[in-house]
Amino acid sequence: MKAHENKTGLPLVQLGITRPEELAALFADLRGRFDADCARAHDESAWKQFRDAWLGRKSGVLTQISDNWLKPATPQLKRAVGASLNELRAHVESQIEARRLAIESGAEEAALAKERVDLSLPGVIRPIGSHHLIRQVFQEIEDIFFSIGFSVVEGPEIETPYYNFEALNIPEFHPVRDDMDTFYIELPKGAPTPLLLRTHTSPMQIRTMERQKPPLRVIVPGKVYRRDNPDATHSFMFHQVEGLAVDADITFCDFTGTVEYFVKQFFGPSVKTRFRPSYFPFTEPSVELDASCIFCGGTGTAAGGGTCSKCKGAAWIELFGAGMVDPAVYGFVNYDAKKVSGFAFGIGIDRMAMLKYGIDDIQVFFQNDVRFLKQFP
Amino acid sequence: MKVVYNWLKDFVDVTAPPEELASRLALSGTNIGGVENGPHGAVLDAEVGSNRPDCLGHYGIAREVAAIYKLPLKHVSTKPSESAAKASDFVKVDIQAPELCGRFTARVIRNVKLQPSPKWLRDRLEASGVASISNVVDISNYVMLELGHALHTFDYDKVRDQKIVVRSTRPDEKIRTLDGVERRLDPGICMISDGDGSRAVGIGGIMGGAETEISFSTKNVLIECAWFEPVAIRRATRFLKLHTEASTRFGRGADPEMAELASRRCAELILQLAGGELLAGVVDAYPGKRALKKIRVTRAEILRVMGADLPDKEIETSLGALGFAPVRIDHNRGAEGSLLAAWECTQPSWRAEVEREIDLIEEIARIYGLEKFPPRLPAARQGAARLPHHEAETRLRERLIGLGYREILTIPHVAEERDALFRPAGVSPARLSNPLSEEAGVLRSTGIVTMAAALEWNLNHGQRNARLFEIGRHYRLNGTQSSETCILTIGATGAAREKGLYDSAREFSFADLKGDLDAIGQLAAGTQPNGFQWRDGGPDWLHAAKRGKVFLGNAELGAAGQLPRRIADRLKVRQDVFFAELELDPLYEAMQTASASRRYEPLPRFPSVDRDFSLLLANRIPFSEIADSIRSLHIAEITSIEAIDLFRGKNVPPGKYSLLVRITFQSREGTLTDAQINHFAGKIISILEHRHGAQLRAS
Ligand SMILES: [Zn+2]
Repeated sequence: MKAHENKTGLPLVQLGITRPEELAALFADLRGRFDADCARAHDESAWKQFRDAWLGRKSGVLTQISDNWLKPATPQLKRAVGASLNELRAHVESQIEARRLAIESGAEEAALAKERVDLSLPGVIRPIGSHHLIRQVFQEIEDIFFSIGFSVVEGPEIETPYYNFEALNIPEFHPVRDDMDTFYIELPKGAPTPLLLRTHTSPMQIRTMERQKPPLRVIVPGKVYRRDNPDATHSFMFHQVEGLAVDADITFCDFTGTVEYFVKQFFGPSVKTRFRPSYFPFTEPSVELDASCIFCGGTGTAAGGGTCSKCKGAAWIELFGAGMVDPAVYGFVNYDAKKVSGFAFGIGIDRMAMLKYGIDDIQVFFQNDVRFLKQFP
Repeated sequence: MKVVYNWLKDFVDVTAPPEELASRLALSGTNIGGVENGPHGAVLDAEVGSNRPDCLGHYGIAREVAAIYKLPLKHVSTKPSESAAKASDFVKVDIQAPELCGRFTARVIRNVKLQPSPKWLRDRLEASGVASISNVVDISNYVMLELGHALHTFDYDKVRDQKIVVRSTRPDEKIRTLDGVERRLDPGICMISDGDGSRAVGIGGIMGGAETEISFSTKNVLIECAWFEPVAIRRATRFLKLHTEASTRFGRGADPEMAELASRRCAELILQLAGGELLAGVVDAYPGKRALKKIRVTRAEILRVMGADLPDKEIETSLGALGFAPVRIDHNRGAEGSLLAAWECTQPSWRAEVEREIDLIEEIARIYGLEKFPPRLPAARQGAARLPHHEAETRLRERLIGLGYREILTIPHVAEERDALFRPAGVSPARLSNPLSEEAGVLRSTGIVTMAAALEWNLNHGQRNARLFEIGRHYRLNGTQSSETCILTIGATGAAREKGLYDSAREFSFADLKGDLDAIGQLAAGTQPNGFQWRDGGPDWLHAAKRGKVFLGNAELGAAGQLPRRIADRLKVRQDVFFAELELDPLYEAMQTASASRRYEPLPRFPSVDRDFSLLLANRIPFSEIADSIRSLHIAEITSIEAIDLFRGKNVPPGKYSLLVRITFQSREGTLTDAQINHFAGKIISILEHRHGAQLRAS
């Protein structure tokens, strides 16, 4: 710096420079000095000192050049000195600013290194709850049917034989009763009616029609009970969603269209459906609804070759039973079977959940192991 | 029912391979559980519905196949040669219970030779899963599998007085059946008896008796082929807990017309395979002969139910193939596709369950093909409604989940003694009269029972931290009426906060439970200023010092607290467990009211001031009394009164505790001055000193 001060402190005449050509070496030398010093300004305070040395208003190098070289310069030199000074000034200002940015980011870097979080460590873990999977699946089913005009109703789980069987066209000693082994409630002598645990949500078909006139569209979620010994696919309590639509002009085509819409919403648009004629005392025509196997894509062949274990190679999986409401049922609720028609279905929620999530043991739903509950947040 | 593919070919010239046939049968109503290719060719496992007794034989299945493929059905025609002697001279039949037995046919074959069956017969039985015994017995099984009608063969010489009497059970009657079991009988069961009717030789339509059984020494055979009333058969099988091939067929409704044909077919095969002489004619008691019903079906109704049309020819061929003999009866006869078309059909004797127009429509549709009716999504004609409490329940559930609780669902069947542990006094539970086990003998009378079981399961499976909730019902009996009440049950145990990088561990405590419940209570705040109110007490199965009753206004919703050691020990639970149960209907109602009445309150424009009061109080004085006294001053500027610290022990005299109360003051009119605050503080200290003997400590 001293050298500059020495030189820049003296007018050009004293430095023996009289011709413009001689200026270039002088300015090149200054520029070289600047670059070397600039590289040595490593931190903020050194940088400030350096900046003041070059740009300081009173005695900075550039001010000195202006005062000592430019102002007293001879007319033939003045223009050239001015141009060189401007060029040097532009270089100095831009380099000093660049240096500042470099120092700042370096300092930040160092500070960040000290404060940086370890992303591989967990955050604060707060307890978080979860919906039961059956509830999630029910909600999904409810939302699909709600979106096409089905209201939601609920009913008692402890029912009378009238609602669970008789009004659904299942008289005593009907063979279907053998397939629905039923729990009965112990009652004191003289009880007006036996009580049982409903074997399906269908009693709510009757209770709804007793309360309401067509048009109606309802779904009924709830627990149902069958006296089966528990195993991987049977639980003596499970969940159903009953559906019922009755109106003046509901046809079989409306029925298949509605349940097909549901299946595609629930399992995805690529799933195919088919209707197999079946038998239920309270629907006619009755069907079982099958979907193309969602595990093998309806091919019957497992991904790794061999027979698909879920559909046993059949390519179809039975989903649920349904059908057009049997006119005999309307007789129990004072509907005119000649004027109204409708359809009903009973979807097993547990079964839908097992199919959709690949669960192979129905018992896990009701053991409520926290490790199971956590899998479906 | 096992359907032997080659057997079907006796009746219909089906060419479709078994797999394809199985699929077509399934799609027309005879579901096929699987196809097995065994040594005797393909066997289809037909899952015949309880409404289709006609499909419990190969002939009936063949009729379905003929209808599906539009092939002719080969009828069973059989004319066994008969001797000059008449059957009616050798056997008499007396039906004394026509309400139980509508038809009874008897044929007699003399001098048969009992021997093993030929290979073709054994093969077909084996393919059908029936063991071969002897030619005569095998033939009766064969005819049953072929024609779907069960028969019974007697050793003619063991039947007393050459006479069969069909009657109802006599008091305290017993019989030893073919399977060697001595069976007690119920009144109203159809009994086949012999001679004067005193000795039972079979349970009609269910199983024969041991005393007249065919054996290898049998010379003369009596063939019984009858028809029994289905409801009586089902009632009897349920009483006897005895289900046989025969009872399945008669119980679902056999074809009374088939009885004579099946008997003739049986006689023909016996002559063919066991030799002998068939006595002429059949002894046929037929009190239950039915007139065949006429049933009408119209295109208008088909359209109304199915929503799509199908050609006349399809209607006529499908009904015709199934035996309904459709005849066009409308004025536009012959006008193809007429909207006024009507057909009169005759109910075949093998389809007693087809009685109505809708039954015929189902027949037409299933043979035509359900996939030919184009699906369409009908527009709704009215808005849909969720459950009345849907929104409240959703908010409750979301809040619980936000508080860290996981939802569970449980089976309400529990052991009586478990239920009794938590059952409130005076409540009668809903007991099952036919439980699967003692462990599942009653329906829970409170949700705590199954919640406790869920916590136990987790503790036993190494999960010591659990916060669970269930929204469900409890079940009770009021006299002869049942009640189901919606409840929220909460269970918590283990760490409220686990040891982690940033925090130390803390066990779940009563305060956690209370805080969580109050967070739920806030959902109803508005109707009730602070949501839930807590009062002393609670059920006996909660810790006497760590429990409380939860109120909403004057309505008691339930209780919360810690499980006392004595019950925890019985459940073999070693760590602290907390429970709460609330009735939901009043809570939902309050939530809805609160939500509807909530209004915006403008935010205060002036700053609030906190002032802490450190009080020394006698142990018996609860915080609520302090707060109530302060409130009784009606200082409008007080916006909250909180307990922020509490301690006993060091520097606190015995029998007393130190309570730090923080009161927040705020005015809507302006910034409060020190003088104003001091004035309020003076009044507060004064009332606490006078009313509660509180001493103010330097804070
Ligand atoms: Zn598959």
